[in-house]
Amino acid sequence: MVSLRFLLAVPLVFLPLIAIIVYFASTGAEEAEKTVLIGSGSSFIAPQMYAWASQLKSKYPWLAVEYESVGSGAGLANFLDGVRDFAASDPPLPKNLWEKYRGKVIQLPVILGAIAVIYNLPEAGEGLRLTGEVLALIYTGEIKYWDDPRIKELNPGLNLPSKEIIAVHRSDSSGTTEIFTLFLHKSAPSVWPRELVGKAIDWPVDRKGNGVGAKGNEGVTSTVKSTPYSIGYVEWSYALDSGLPMAAIMNPRGEFLLPSIESIQKAVQNVELPESPLGDFSSLPLDVVYADVEGAYPIVSFTFLIFWVEYPQEKVEAVRTFIEYVSTEGQMEGNVVKGYVPVPDNIRRFNLEAVSLVREG
Amino acid sequence: MPPRSVPREDRLFYFSLVPFAYIIIAALLLLALSITWKALPALEAYGIDLFLRNVWAPREDSPGDYGLLAAIYGTLVSAFIAVVLALPLSVSLAIAVEELAPKPLRGAIAFLNDVAAGFPTIAFGLWGVEYLVPFLRDYVMRPLYSSIGFLPTFSCEPLSGASLLAAGTLLAFMVTPFMTALIREAYASVPFHLREAAASVSSAWYQEVLLVLGMIKPAIVAALLLGYGRAAGETVAVSLVVGNSFNVSLCLFAPSYTVSALIANQFGNATYYPLMPEVLFAGGVFLFVIGLVINWMGVRMIERVRWVG
Amino acid sequence: MAEVRALLDILFKGCVLLIAFLALVPVLHLTLAAIVNGGPVIASAGLKFFTEVPPPPGNRTYGILTSLIGTIELALLSTLVGVPISFMAAVLVVEFPHSRLGRIVRLLSRTLLELPTILIGMFVFTIIVVPLGSPSILAASIALALVMLPYVTTYIETALSSVPRTYREAGLALGMTKARVAFTIVVPIAVRGVVTGILVGLAKAMGETAPLLFTLGRARTSLNVDPLGPGDAIPLLIYDYAQAPYENLREVAWGATLVLITLFLLVYVLARLTIRGVRV
Repeated sequence: MVSLRFLLAVPLVFLPLIAIIVYFASTGAEEAEKTVLIGSGSSFIAPQMYAWASQLKSKYPWLAVEYESVGSGAGLANFLDGVRDFAASDPPLPKNLWEKYRGKVIQLPVILGAIAVIYNLPEAGEGLRLTGEVLALIYTGEIKYWDDPRIKELNPGLNLPSKEIIAVHRSDSSGTTEIFTLFLHKSAPSVWPRELVGKAIDWPVDRKGNGVGAKGNEGVTSTVKSTPYSIGYVEWSYALDSGLPMAAIMNPRGEFLLPSIESIQKAVQNVELPESPLGDFSSLPLDVVYADVEGAYPIVSFTFLIFWVEYPQEKVEAVRTFIEYVSTEGQMEGNVVKGYVPVPDNIRRFNLEAVSLVREG
Repeated sequence: MPPRSVPREDRLFYFSLVPFAYIIIAALLLLALSITWKALPALEAYGIDLFLRNVWAPREDSPGDYGLLAAIYGTLVSAFIAVVLALPLSVSLAIAVEELAPKPLRGAIAFLNDVAAGFPTIAFGLWGVEYLVPFLRDYVMRPLYSSIGFLPTFSCEPLSGASLLAAGTLLAFMVTPFMTALIREAYASVPFHLREAAASVSSAWYQEVLLVLGMIKPAIVAALLLGYGRAAGETVAVSLVVGNSFNVSLCLFAPSYTVSALIANQFGNATYYPLMPEVLFAGGVFLFVIGLVINWMGVRMIERVRWVG
Repeated sequence: MAEVRALLDILFKGCVLLIAFLALVPVLHLTLAAIVNGGPVIASAGLKFFTEVPPPPGNRTYGILTSLIGTIELALLSTLVGVPISFMAAVLVVEFPHSRLGRIVRLLSRTLLELPTILIGMFVFTIIVVPLGSPSILAASIALALVMLPYVTTYIETALSSVPRTYREAGLALGMTKARVAFTIVVPIAVRGVVTGILVGLAKAMGETAPLLFTLGRARTSLNVDPLGPGDAIPLLIYDYAQAPYENLREVAWGATLVLITLFLLVYVLARLTIRGVRV
């Protein structure tokens, strides 16, 4: 008798759980065949990706785009390992990788963003002005205190406390970091050498005990928010949402600017794209970052969506629909999240070309 | 193999169970082998320096420069802080349950403690970020820094609060129920005649308790070891509060790293960098060896708590 | 002298009680925090908290449907994979304690109880996710089953070996085979411990995050129950949202924590309830 009851007891525990699963499995099955595209990468673009995914879902119920905000490096690694359908990365593929996968990958600059320098200074409030050189000195740990003369000189009107600066940076491999460090290098090459440009770098400020790592744009924003006297770099939309003050950054023309739609668009007005989405974009960030244009914000970046040329038959239509959407409707006002800037018309047309490049294979 | 004298049906029974045992052995062996195998290229490239240097400079086109010292140091120190803090907590809790709690409550507290021991670690992580870290920063680190900041361990100004101390404290709270369960079990297993003997030579209750604690010393050591092993391997909760900074410093208020947090943060993007996956697998080997040695010692210790007579 | 000792006694007692109380504070405060922070979120979202997918950042809606279903599915699948193996292995260890295999399994399962679970994540990523070409609910279930294995094996083994020898001997004396004795006498007597072991393993698997990081994917915005497709789980959601700067995601994280703790406690309570009538 006892053993019988035992046999009954175990299913009893699981019965409600099984019922729930079966219920959802059956309701799921009633829907039309669904295609899931799963991608990962840049947390820079994550809020925009989530918005596009939900717009796509309501427009094309058969298409589910899932996005993991894990950093550009992880996105590329997963994509090239073949464990995700697409990747998002702020910097395009570096030259060596592009050559390795030449003709097999499509890169689309789908959105523009800016890296805002956010800070948490209870005494000073808004209005901080910084140069690339001072930022580089902060992230090397050279400038340790907020009332350092080199910061004071730029901000005569601000009440700068004699507190240690906590430099927050990314702990994962990040396109945002690559663009930010590229800016530091380009604006202050003597302080920030070429070796310190990349997605994941050996932060000099960590050695001085003043660096804190956080995961994703999400992590950096929330760390700065909860940490008085800290500074960090994040995509503009995160800065806007956090309500934290942003520093005005000096461009090559000596203007101190905050990110804005105009100041971001200015930065890309002179860029030249390769002949097709199959081409090499690797030098593009160098033109966009610290662009020598009047009124251009100095830390601007495209985010790229990266696809294969060939997909299994069941995914081809989904990939095409996705590319078409982000090149057309996805760029319209109302579909672009606050803190991003749609790409110019010529780039939209350029991206749309890719629809016909995707094929079965 | 069962002895030959065993009846045929029983041997059949044995052989029908063998595949399941082999699955366990194979899975664990495969795990150990594959992690070691994957780590070999990194060990070849960097040698022992991989564990002795603190450097993390990934490169996209060629193998970067890696040294796991900061993460290893952080792992060892945070787990050490954890067991040092958890020891008094768990011993007291065990005594309170066994000696002081009213009889009807004992079962309930013991049950609660068991529940706490298996509590989802991520819940501790979220709680650590939102409550523990700010609390420690404002009410422990800042006062210590401004009062006895001349001691090297307290000599740096707390930054965000995410630090070795925060990680160690959170881990202490996480391993306390687990260590309590081990100590309590041993405490309750002390035979009556030994308790009586302890009572007869003691003139006060506290002396008696201390005597009994002395009898279960191996169990307490085992709890320390197993708690240390558990703390050293914990991942997500720690990665939320340790600060994720490659920094080797005596100061407990400085942000640091642990091996498991490093893996959690970097493994996803590792294949993008030549040799980085291998380096992280080498970190995995370190965790594996530490876990294995400490657990083995702990399990041996527990088995020493045997009562004669 | 006696007064000094009495004083010391009281002092000692006070210290012990105080520190013991301190030891309990974190878990209690954490549970309270989950109720205080998560309760209102769930209350304001109502049933939608369980039937809507997680919201976009900055929005004012809440939901954890995909993660909740994912966690339940993972718990079921990993139990399905892990428990039979553990159970049979435990029977072998107990019934053939002197066989070499029995001794090895016993030692392995005890020594590997506290194996860092992140290693299992790396392992499953390497041998399952990469060959399959995608993270999947199946891969994550296997990872969780590996987490459960040593636990459940040890628990069941302890339960089975607590059955007094006399019962076995009685069965054998009646001419029963070892298998019959094991399954009709020993297991039913130890049923309480066996079920507890399974449920403790289930609870452990449900609360794990590290093995899921590289194996599950994050299919958060649309529901997928196909085991070969990517999924999501509550602990993973909490891990991500705990690092998010958005107020609404933090709130969802607390709501999800409350749900996770409730599920976890539910499993423990079920363990007690289901076996109440089955005492021998």
